[in-house]
Amino acid sequence: MDAAADLLPGTLDLLILKALSLGPQHGYGVLLRIEQISGRRFRIEQGALYPALYRLEHQGLLDGEWGTSDNNRRAKFYRLTAAGRARLREETAGWQRLVAAMAAALAARPEEV
Amino acid sequence: MLARLRSTLGALRCRGRWESELDEELRLHLEYRADDLVRGGLAPAAAARQARLELGAGETWKEQCRAALGLRWLDQLRQDLRFAARMLRRSPAFTAVAVLSLALGVGANTVAFSVVDSLLLKPLAIASPASVFTVEDRRFPSQSFPNYRDLRDRSSTFAGLAAYRMAPMGVETADGARRVWGYLATGNYFDLLGIKPLCGRFFHAEDDRRPGASPFAVLSHACWRNRFAGDPRIVGKTVRINSLSYSVLGVAPPEFHGTEVFYWPEIWVPMMMQPQIEGHSWLDQRATFNCMVIGRLGPGVTPVRAAADLRTLGADLAHEVPAWNEGLSLRLARPGLVGNALRDPTRAFTGGVLALAGLVLLAACANLASLLAARAADRHRELAIRLSIGAGRGRIVRQLLAESALLALLGGAAGCALAALLLRLLTQWRAPFDFPVRFEVAPDIRVFAFALAASMVSGLLFSIAPARQTLSADPNQALKGGPAGGLEPRRTPRGRGPRPARPAIRWPVRDLLLAAQMALCCLLVTACLVALRGLARTLETPLGFEARGVAVASLDLGLAGYDLRRGAAFQRRALDAMSRLPGVTAAGYGNSLPLSIDQSSNVVFRAETTDLRPSQGKTATVYQVSPGYLRALGARLLAGRDFTWHDDRGTPLVAIVNQTFARQVLGRANAVGMRFRAGQGPLIEVAGQVADGRYVSITEEPRPAFFRPILQQPNGTTVLVLRSALPPGEAARQLQQAIAGLDPRLPISGLGSLQQMLGFVLFPARAASVALGAFGLLALMLAATGIYGLASYAVSRRTREIGIRVAVGARPPQVLRFVLGRTALLLGVGSATGLALGFGATKLLVSIVYLASPHDPVVLAGAAFVMVAVGVAAAGAPAHRALAIDPVRALRQE
Repeated sequence: MDAAADLLPGTLDLLILKALSLGPQHGYGVLLRIEQISGRRFRIEQGALYPALYRLEHQGLLDGEWGTSDNNRRAKFYRLTAAGRARLREETAGWQRLVAAMAAALAARPEEV
Repeated sequence: MLARLRSTLGALRCRGRWESELDEELRLHLEYRADDLVRGGLAPAAAARQARLELGAGETWKEQCRAALGLRWLDQLRQDLRFAARMLRRSPAFTAVAVLSLALGVGANTVAFSVVDSLLLKPLAIASPASVFTVEDRRFPSQSFPNYRDLRDRSSTFAGLAAYRMAPMGVETADGARRVWGYLATGNYFDLLGIKPLCGRFFHAEDDRRPGASPFAVLSHACWRNRFAGDPRIVGKTVRINSLSYSVLGVAPPEFHGTEVFYWPEIWVPMMMQPQIEGHSWLDQRATFNCMVIGRLGPGVTPVRAAADLRTLGADLAHEVPAWNEGLSLRLARPGLVGNALRDPTRAFTGGVLALAGLVLLAACANLASLLAARAADRHRELAIRLSIGAGRGRIVRQLLAESALLALLGGAAGCALAALLLRLLTQWRAPFDFPVRFEVAPDIRVFAFALAASMVSGLLFSIAPARQTLSADPNQALKGGPAGGLEPRRTPRGRGPRPARPAIRWPVRDLLLAAQMALCCLLVTACLVALRGLARTLETPLGFEARGVAVASLDLGLAGYDLRRGAAFQRRALDAMSRLPGVTAAGYGNSLPLSIDQSSNVVFRAETTDLRPSQGKTATVYQVSPGYLRALGARLLAGRDFTWHDDRGTPLVAIVNQTFARQVLGRANAVGMRFRAGQGPLIEVAGQVADGRYVSITEEPRPAFFRPILQQPNGTTVLVLRSALPPGEAARQLQQAIAGLDPRLPISGLGSLQQMLGFVLFPARAASVALGAFGLLALMLAATGIYGLASYAVSRRTREIGIRVAVGARPPQVLRFVLGRTALLLGVGSATGLALGFGATKLLVSIVYLASPHDPVVLAGAAFVMVAVGVAAAGAPAHRALAIDPVRALRQE
């Protein structure tokens, strides 16, 4: 947790889409899964998760449905829609292009200029 | 996009459930987290607390969730509107005045525009109305039937030409014979107009074979519903019209009522039945110009080409039959208002009304603007407080706009409701005389939508400026003193730099608004007074007879199947029966009454004239009357004698002429004993002379008229005239019983007092006066609210100052001059301008009201007096409040 970094703006949506692409989850489950797949390297404000979920649902990228969790509690489960899956692919590709470009830029040496 | 809308709408629809689910979701999050923390070794209470801390401010997140769905914006809108409603409720006087003035302005314009729309703009309910035109002579709208036939056969530019004529018919229904107004129409009439029957069929051009061979009838929708109880098997049944059987072919659709905007006929009969319907035939008479001609242009023919074609055809007809067609000059006219005969006056009148309505709206807007400006100034402090405790400027502007929008919406809606009510009344109005005149001014949804939008725009427009001024002010300054208790504000210097204490209002603009409003109101009041004076003078015009105490009844013996001989005998018996009625002082009968719709004229020639072409004679109105008719009407016999029962077929032809006839036709002041010729007929000797009267319209120039003995020129159209000492209603009932005693199946129309019948003549003048009177009243209400608003604002704004002045010894007149002097000055300047404008608008007024003139001391004095009275009345309450101010309390108030 010491090395935890603040999220870059806009990346929470991408992380939520990624987390849900691994299977439907309720809100708290999404939080746990993001922590798990990111190796707890991000500091995520717990409350901020919900506006993001509502926004993605409003955009038709997620489907929310009430169901029962493993320990028999009610919970609203979110599932990726086809549009959400497409968006995840686009954003992942975009992100990778950005990373590659940044990496190339940062690796530049004086003699290459 | 659609999915988003759906999710927003879904959340809106079940807002409660959506909210509780959001709550539930966040609560579950806390539970899951607390469970995890308990598993990590925390005590349950501490875990729950820790979970809440980690989640943070739940309400903030919920608000963001709502924003994600676009709900926040709607929530705020709702809050703004609720707040606006509360603010409006808190100042009911302001709200009432603002809503009322907007409602009056919007209502007046909606009504005026709806009327113009339905009378002049809306196309007729026929197929492709743009290519249908009335063919009329430049001098009068109707044509002779032979002329119509020639035009129909020779024209190359029209796809078809149809002729029609308004005609009364005696239709026998389940409740007896009734006089019903209908149309005689050529066979191609319905096909040319492109009308489809509601049921059954219409008659066609093939039915025009020969006179009398097509006893068919088409019923209007209203006639079918009202007179035949909507009989579903009406098609094919026979109906007796003027004692002959006609078979019903079909029913016209409800919206179709021929091609005249005002006239609502109940029945259509083929033109070839004209001799049977009217008792005599003019189908081959070149001399009788009795039918209207309407045509549809051929495909691709422009109106210009058709007009050129008509000019040539008219010239040909004039050349071929000079005796009857001399001077014939044909042209196209838009159909709907008897060619151009009614269109021009209607356009002038409605144009004037629209202009006045526009003035009312302007005055209402000026009123609203000054009210809103005053209110914004009043709320300066409140807004400053809200700003300084952290309200966003944007949000405040939105709230101010919401308030004006609500106000405008209320005003607009009230105006529309008012207009809808008035239009309904106008549509339901039925003429007080026997003629199917109706104003179908169905409120058009587009007009109303426009009115609402216009009121919203004007409301917002007039609130933005004050709102902006308020917001650009420095709240600190406003709170420190501001205009709430300040003296006369200074003008603000333009440009940047530290702002001085800046007042929210600019007096000069407001002053200008009030003065402009006063000018408009005074103009409207002047117009209203001019109209009322005009009407009063119209009513005083000598009619040539005395309408009071006269009861009349119209019979159409021809329609009831009487021939002329039996008709004449019936007329004599009716007169005998009338003379025996109690209270009768005089009785008579004639073919018509002066100023009724049924007027006939002859071309008359001096005895020595040998060239009997129409252009060589003079047109004179003619009546066939019995002995006693003139006495019963109260016409003054100036010289000679009245007719007697000996003036019949066996004695020389005689006539009674009026003064203008004597002067213009015979060239003498006293024409008794002179002779003249009517049309191509034999010479007639003048037996008597009566005073001039009004015959065709109340506004006409003196015109020649003459009366002939009905025994020498029999006529089945009968108007019984009864002068009685009894009240007219009672006399009319007696008259009806007397006729029923002679022939119970005879349809009586137009039963009532002569004064009621005159309603037709006075109707335009009355309608104009009512309209102008209403506008004048509107203007007065607006003026009163404007003055009241400004005066009471001036008083409340300066309460402290007045207190100081009273404390240092100001006396009441000084206080009044100080508070209301400005208002009085504005009122004076505005009124003077308005009067001057009214003077300048003479032409407009004269186009609306006959005998109107603003150059009338009564009007000028009246308008000035009314404005002063309104000013005093409206400023009275605020003035009283100013005088009642207690200096001690006023100074402690702050």
